[in-house]
Amino acid sequence: MAGTAHKGVGASLPRKEDARFLLGEGEFVGDIHRPGMLEVAFVRAPVAHARIAGRLKPAGFEGRVFFMQDLDGVAPIRAVSGLPGFKASDLWPLARDKVRHVGEAVAMCVAETRAEAEDLAAQVMVEYDELPAVVDMEAALSAPPALLHEQWGDNVFLESLVDGDLAAIRARAEIRITRRLRTARQSMAPIEGRAVLCEWNGRLGQLEMHSAAQMPHITRAGLSECLGIDQGAIRVIAPDVGGGFGYKGILLPEEVCLGWLARHLRRPVRWLEDRREQLTANANCREHHYDLTLHADRDGRLLAIDCEAIVDSGAYSLYPFSACLEAAQVGSILPGPYTMEGYRCRTWSVATNKPGILPYRGVARTGVCFALEVTLDAVARAAGREPYEVRLLNLVQPGQMPYDNITRKHFDSGDYPEAVRRAVAAIDLPKWRAAQATGEDAGTDMADPRGGRRIGVGFAVYCEQGAHGTSVYHGWGIPMVPGREPCAARLSPDGILELRIGAHSHGQSLETTLAQVAHEVLSIDPEQVRLVHGDTAMTPYSTGTWGSRCMVMSGGAVAQSCTELGERVKAIASAVLDVPPDALQLRDGGVHVRGSDRCLSFAEVAHLFYRQPQRLPPTLEAGLEVVTGYRPEVDTGTFSYACHAVVVSVDTQLGHVELLDYVIVEDGGTLVNPMVVDGQIIGGTAQGIGTALYEEMPYDMQGQPLASTLADYMLPGATEMPPLRIEHLQTPSPYTRFGQKGLGEGGAIAPPAAIVNAINDALAPLGVELTETPATPRRILAAIEAAEVERSGSGTHA
Amino acid sequence: MKHPVRLQVNGRAVEAQVEPRLNLADFVRDHLHLTATHVGCEHGVCGACTVLLDGAPARACINFAVRCDGRDVRTLEGLSCDPVMVRLRAAFTAEHALQCGYCTPGMLITARDIVLRLPDADEARIRVELAGNLCRCTGYAGIVRAIASVLEARLSEPSEPSEPR
Ligand code: FES
Ligand code: FES
Repeated sequence: MAGTAHKGVGASLPRKEDARFLLGEGEFVGDIHRPGMLEVAFVRAPVAHARIAGRLKPAGFEGRVFFMQDLDGVAPIRAVSGLPGFKASDLWPLARDKVRHVGEAVAMCVAETRAEAEDLAAQVMVEYDELPAVVDMEAALSAPPALLHEQWGDNVFLESLVDGDLAAIRARAEIRITRRLRTARQSMAPIEGRAVLCEWNGRLGQLEMHSAAQMPHITRAGLSECLGIDQGAIRVIAPDVGGGFGYKGILLPEEVCLGWLARHLRRPVRWLEDRREQLTANANCREHHYDLTLHADRDGRLLAIDCEAIVDSGAYSLYPFSACLEAAQVGSILPGPYTMEGYRCRTWSVATNKPGILPYRGVARTGVCFALEVTLDAVARAAGREPYEVRLLNLVQPGQMPYDNITRKHFDSGDYPEAVRRAVAAIDLPKWRAAQATGEDAGTDMADPRGGRRIGVGFAVYCEQGAHGTSVYHGWGIPMVPGREPCAARLSPDGILELRIGAHSHGQSLETTLAQVAHEVLSIDPEQVRLVHGDTAMTPYSTGTWGSRCMVMSGGAVAQSCTELGERVKAIASAVLDVPPDALQLRDGGVHVRGSDRCLSFAEVAHLFYRQPQRLPPTLEAGLEVVTGYRPEVDTGTFSYACHAVVVSVDTQLGHVELLDYVIVEDGGTLVNPMVVDGQIIGGTAQGIGTALYEEMPYDMQGQPLASTLADYMLPGATEMPPLRIEHLQTPSPYTRFGQKGLGEGGAIAPPAAIVNAINDALAPLGVELTETPATPRRILAAIEAAEVERSGSGTHA
Repeated sequence: MKHPVRLQVNGRAVEAQVEPRLNLADFVRDHLHLTATHVGCEHGVCGACTVLLDGAPARACINFAVRCDGRDVRTLEGLSCDPVMVRLRAAFTAEHALQCGYCTPGMLITARDIVLRLPDADEARIRVELAGNLCRCTGYAGIVRAIASVLEARLSEPSEPSEPR
């Protein structure tokens, strides 16, 4: 490798993007102003399920208020899936006949300021004939109070089955554990909400949309379908984006509305999602229900998994990921890194009167990991073994790599048991087991029948498939399939390297890490590298940023384009220095003749090529701009993984949980920038802690959202974060350019499982086992009280 | 119905006619085009809109512009040369205290206040003081370390002028 270690792959290079943010010079959509710009507010449904019986614009403002019938030529958003049996929904950008969740947009109002637009919205009259609300996913399936999409005949987007004959295993399994588990509905809640600014460029005949978006090219494709204008007539720009986590990977009804409006009014129009809209009107995520049975032998060796799972997919299938990706993913990823003989899993994507769902960091893995790991701990208790021992017994062994598991997921590399062993050592399990036995350290109060504060230790293992490619994704049949990932690399006339990629960054640090990749290949100083991304007019098509794919896919693409560019640099240098290309070497920011001090800097090569072509042989054809498309050798994805270990203390009178220690042993393959990697892991873990203990988007029986501010929907703050220690294994992926693996989501996957396992470990002596997230004080106390009632009840009968 | 306000923003006198319902965050962002001050919730929880009001951190989203008549407002733009901020910026980069950068302006203003007001703050105290600023990206570890490192540096080298110019 030509790179010097301190700036290339493996260096914790400080971030290039920081300076502008630290000076307040970042540019988010809400920071952009245009002369003559108007602001938009939406009238949103106040009820969860209703037929629209009438609508009336305020007199004198007919040209400022728009209903669906005014948006001529606009088609509904239709996010299909090719999975057999999938039922599509039509999401009209403004509700046409029915509203199907609180917050669904019904009318669009435009005025000089947002406040005035909201004044206008308050005067719009909409009459609703209410229908029963479908709120609970189990009821939606088995005893629906109503149908969301009548023509379906039920409330099921998709039912799917991974079948297996478990009869023989059932007969011989000595341990059989069945649990019902639930994860609460959540909101992804980036600190910047969605934001859209649209204007019509008459000269270009082009709609220009600034949007806080993760996948600008996909947004453009979807917009084109809905607005009925060709993709060349649309430019989508995602400037600085204030966090995504999946929330900004969608074509919004609001984007379609504003696209139409800017063209209709020929004026710039802007909509900034407020926090209430974010929490209550736009997509949520992650509400899962599991009926899970594990069959094991008496040692806790897993024989089979039998599962029925429901995912509450909300009212509409959202573009492009569809309503069924998450539930169908449950079926394919539930076994994870464990070996077993039998597997059966039936899943339902169920429609309810709530906003649609988007894949949140970790997607279905967080729920799946929670369900499996919590139930696996129950297996360990039944076998009388330490939970980590049961994991060691069942995890895929390093010698089996690469490994195809029971759902034919192809694991590329790794030593899973080693991650567990190191986590056990790092958390110092014997110390805590001793503390539990004596009650010391814990503040355990032996006089209190509940034992005062109780200590527990919990473990969870997960794997994270990242950078899934064509062969995996085409099977979903959704509106996007990732192909070869492109990068355009260009040396400017003054020797600056411009990299253009179609993915986008919303905190991932791509401006730094991709410059490190370019440095690794070309030896060019990262300061001389400029990343252009987030603009469909300036970058090659890509499905964008999702699925922990950028470091593998865009990183691989940058490396590939830079490699080719390096050859072209050598060709020019070879002609000018009059040496064969293979006598040349790229190092120290230029091209050197091996074993001599003759060299040309990149700036000199670029100057020669662009400004002094007379010095080059006329036969030299290739320019200093290269576009290539990258695909890993095997495109089924990389598998990063980790073992999380956590120590909690549970206050059995107040139900409060404190995290006393937290260890993560993770394997993300080769780390391109370890500082950035740790940042992703810690940030993801904070979100996972939110999932485990705090975050919940509840609905009442009428389908009214009950958390409409950040005072109700509680995000973890600085005081909620435990001391966190991270250890890295670095097993390279055999399939990627540098051995790197996707790992941006992993931190958010394991915490609910690890923390609830620790709580259950603490409360096991009280006969308490939690199977729901978040583990709020109310849930913990209710579980303790229920166990007490059961104990005294059985006492009476004895 | 608009009302006149006169106030100091980043050391400059500003006069404007504003609606009573206009909050300070929208005023500095939309009227003065000072967009470093971000808006994350508009109900006083996230801290993205934190500015200095008469020298003390305040949430711009729940302060009305009309109520700021006669007061001194300082946004991140007005602290670019502030010596504590210079140190904090370097520390934020060194400790990877930001990812998307959206919470960062509010974090920096709170961080500066911690540094100046609580020279002895330990990690636990820093965390408590940060309780009014939410970050969805970083998990706070880098932010806490950055503030701690500036506090530590100031113990050995306390002599910088602490008043903004
Ligand atoms: S925007 Fe002011 S506290 Fe959130
Ligand atoms: S860095 Fe993204 S919210 Fe803090």
